[in-house]
Amino acid sequence: MKILVPLKRVADPDNANKVKVTAGKLDTTGMQWKPNPFDEYAVETALRLTENGASTKVRLGEVIVLTVGPKEAETQLRGALATGADRAIRIDATDDDLDGDVVARAIRAVVEKEKPDLILVGKQAVDGDSNQVGQLLAEYLGWPQATFAGTIKSEGDTALLVGREVDGGTLTLRVTLPAVVSVDLRIVAPTSVSSKHSPTHTYADGVRFAALMAIMAAKKKPMVEFKLSELVSDAAAKIAYTTHELPPPRKAGIKVKDVAELVDKLRNEARVV
Amino acid sequence: MSKVVQAINRYKADLREFEFLLFEQFNLRTDILASDLYEAWGEDEIRTSLAECYRFVKEVTGPLNAIGDAEGCKIVDGRIKTPTGFKNAWNKLYEAGWRGISVKPEFGGAGAPYAIMVMVEELLSGSNTAFAMYPGLCAGAAEVMMHFATDEQKALFVIRMIKGEWGGTMCLTEPSAGSDVGSSRTTARPLGDGTYAIAGTKIYISGGDHDLAENVIHLVLARVDGAPAGTKGLTLFIVPRIRPNAEGLLGEFNDVSVGAIEHKMGINGSATCVVNFGENGQCIGTPVGGDARLNQGMSQMFVMMNGARIAVGIQGVAVASSAYLNALDYAKDRKQGSSIANWKDATAPRVAIIEHADVRRMLIDMKARVEGCRALAIKLAYHQDMAIILKGKDDEASAYHIGQVDLLVPLVKAYSSDQAFRVCETAIQVYGGAGYTRDYPVEQSCRDSKIFSIYEGTNHIQAMDLVGRKLGQRGGANTQAFIGDVAKFVAAHSEHPRIGGAVKQLAAAQEALAGSAMKLLYWFQAGKVQQVPLQANRFLEMMSEVAVGWLLLEQAVIAHTKLPDVAEGHPDHAFYTGKLFAAEYYAHNVLPGVAFKASLLDNENTSAIDIPDAAFATV
Ligand SMILES: Cc1cc2nc3c(=O)[nH]c(=O)nc-3n(C[C@H](O)[C@H](O)[C@H](O)COP(=O)(O)OP(=O)(O)OC[C@H]3O[C@@H](n4cnc5c(N)ncnc54)[C@H](O)[C@@H]3O)c2cc1C
Repeated sequence: MKILVPLKRVADPDNANKVKVTAGKLDTTGMQWKPNPFDEYAVETALRLTENGASTKVRLGEVIVLTVGPKEAETQLRGALATGADRAIRIDATDDDLDGDVVARAIRAVVEKEKPDLILVGKQAVDGDSNQVGQLLAEYLGWPQATFAGTIKSEGDTALLVGREVDGGTLTLRVTLPAVVSVDLRIVAPTSVSSKHSPTHTYADGVRFAALMAIMAAKKKPMVEFKLSELVSDAAAKIAYTTHELPPPRKAGIKVKDVAELVDKLRNEARVV
Repeated sequence: MSKVVQAINRYKADLREFEFLLFEQFNLRTDILASDLYEAWGEDEIRTSLAECYRFVKEVTGPLNAIGDAEGCKIVDGRIKTPTGFKNAWNKLYEAGWRGISVKPEFGGAGAPYAIMVMVEELLSGSNTAFAMYPGLCAGAAEVMMHFATDEQKALFVIRMIKGEWGGTMCLTEPSAGSDVGSSRTTARPLGDGTYAIAGTKIYISGGDHDLAENVIHLVLARVDGAPAGTKGLTLFIVPRIRPNAEGLLGEFNDVSVGAIEHKMGINGSATCVVNFGENGQCIGTPVGGDARLNQGMSQMFVMMNGARIAVGIQGVAVASSAYLNALDYAKDRKQGSSIANWKDATAPRVAIIEHADVRRMLIDMKARVEGCRALAIKLAYHQDMAIILKGKDDEASAYHIGQVDLLVPLVKAYSSDQAFRVCETAIQVYGGAGYTRDYPVEQSCRDSKIFSIYEGTNHIQAMDLVGRKLGQRGGANTQAFIGDVAKFVAAHSEHPRIGGAVKQLAAAQEALAGSAMKLLYWFQAGKVQQVPLQANRFLEMMSEVAVGWLLLEQAVIAHTKLPDVAEGHPDHAFYTGKLFAAEYYAHNVLPGVAFKASLLDNENTSAIDIPDAAFATV
């Protein structure tokens, strides 16, 4: 099975308090970047689906990671290669020129070249939280899609049983390949992903570590670059951001003397009771 | 006894520090990575490795730190049971490969520069000192064998120990042989086939047995029957717990058993064992390197001693650094008291304790000491890497670098370990009562860190190594080169626009230090040798302070150059600013003490020696 995993770098959410807005634009100087966590789950899912339980040395399939972004985003691609992905593609672009639609169309062009059996995407990127690329891509390709996958079971690598996390439980869909599947957090639970080649052991919770030797080997794995304009004829983004602003800082709290004052304030100032 | 301890990581490291040392202060890029020895290693590999290793320790070893402390080790049916999760962490560590980062590829490692390994050791030790000792000693034992073992021994033992299939220990200490290793009484009787019957008891053996790997390989110092007394007659033996055949299949039990484990102040997850060899006359060992290497045990040990002593210094930096970063977090969070500016106003708003001058003093003091000790350790590692790279290419330069390694080892071991305990103690003080409780990590850090000044040669043994051996090594050339390096820096920067004044403090300290070195020499020559051990620790501290002050000021010069090009909101702006202040703090608050200590040496006061034993106390 050949699996394509689009991967976006995002500003480290742990350092989100450092985000600055200058003249209505996000100021990215000094931000630390890391892979979008949901995309990391997608890479992990792809690795599990292509794992040969009988022999860990042999992989049953290929995992290609792809990003649309500047040269520095290769660090995140190398990171994915170090955890086990086989090769990487970078579509050169500046973050400011992109929206979900351009990204989906760029990926479509790569899909036409690579002809993967499956595209695994994170359900959303934790920066803009747009939750669009997977859906747009499926539509552009005319492929079946299943979003918010919490479990995936491969049926002979021709179809997938996807447990989708929906309000009130799990909805199971069968999608025939090729398809687009977006993954949710629970996909990296120890037994969420299985195929007929799955190893007998259960996985550790979460995404795997990059082993030292794999980090060293990642350097030698192929990484190719395309220009955005080579892949999409009309690279103009459809979404234009007019301005950005930070949420207002929280007001300091106040101390109340007693319960009576609290009730009074809740009733007359906050008007919640 | 102990309440249930949760598996939560509380270890913190600042990787920006590591990158600064490697790529800004020391020229890893041009001096080391450019060498064909490190072809596989580039900046990307290093950054990714350190980041992944940090992630590994936060998720795997860090969460077990408090658990190991609370549970400790137990003897169950004559075997050591390590704390919950240690076995899993061991497996994961060797799967990930971090322990082998600078092991040569032919032994299954990744062949990284030594400086990178020192950083990986900091992450492993800092996240969980007790756990890290098991793989750490195994690596030390394997390293000795890499140098001296026969090819068969290497194939049988070293490869398996590097992979973590088998563990390893270093067995030197005995009830009557602590600092004085030469008093060792463990015996080895030749059996005529190149093997020896080993008999004796070793104490305080870290990881003297454990359940992390299927076999434990002990390196045991023992005296072959008829060998000379003292260290000259000691041979280093390979003594497996279970005898393997030549293919490595495990066979019979080798009569190695754990008599007891110590109940300790800290590093409770590390089993400190009494190990009995040959209680039933059935313990067999072979000399490392075969019969050709009899009576060379001590010189073999010396090869790994540098590495082991640096590793202890790094343990100190590691634990102290995390204690500092935790205290810093707490100080930003805890509100108590109001600003001194409002001291008359009882209703003034409460402030975070980081706003109080005394708390800030403690924080910057910890910062300067931690970052200075780390810089010293990495400087040493850098010398080691350079010595290897230049060997056979430029022997004179290589000898300079080896000389600096030899000279700095006792400083890194003793100063970092002493500072570690003090930094941890200060961290508790920053927290106040909370720091004294188990709800916060610093009391464990403090307990764990005390051992660093004791094992691998007590800090006094280090000080005597410095003043008795190292200062005069190569006719004093190493010491002169060190003083020369500092002097060069002083000459270049004493008129520096920002830190010139601080550099002048360094100049004064260095002058005082040189005077004290002459004093030591004079004592040796004038028959006042008893002054030497009395002042050795003080001298080691003075020299360490000069070294640390120098390296901190070097950092400040770099920071000062870079600062104008960094936007104010950029994290590097704060980073470089911190470098400037830490160096100035150390220069003005610690370095002046060097001249003062030199004056104490000049006093030649001998109260400590002259006081009669009976006069110490009447009980
Ligand atoms: C937790 C722990 C783990 C250990 N792990 C190991 C291990 O894995 N393998 C191993 O072989 N050993 C190990 N040790 C032993 C350790 O190396 C020794 O404890 C150490 O070398 C000091 O020896 P000692 O305890 O006998 O103290 P002593 O040698 O009795 O020293 C007591 C005091 O006297 C001083 N002193 C001793 N001799 C002199 C002298 N000649 N001149 C001046 N002062 C002197 C010392 O500095 C010290 O202050 C471990 C110890 C501990 C506590």
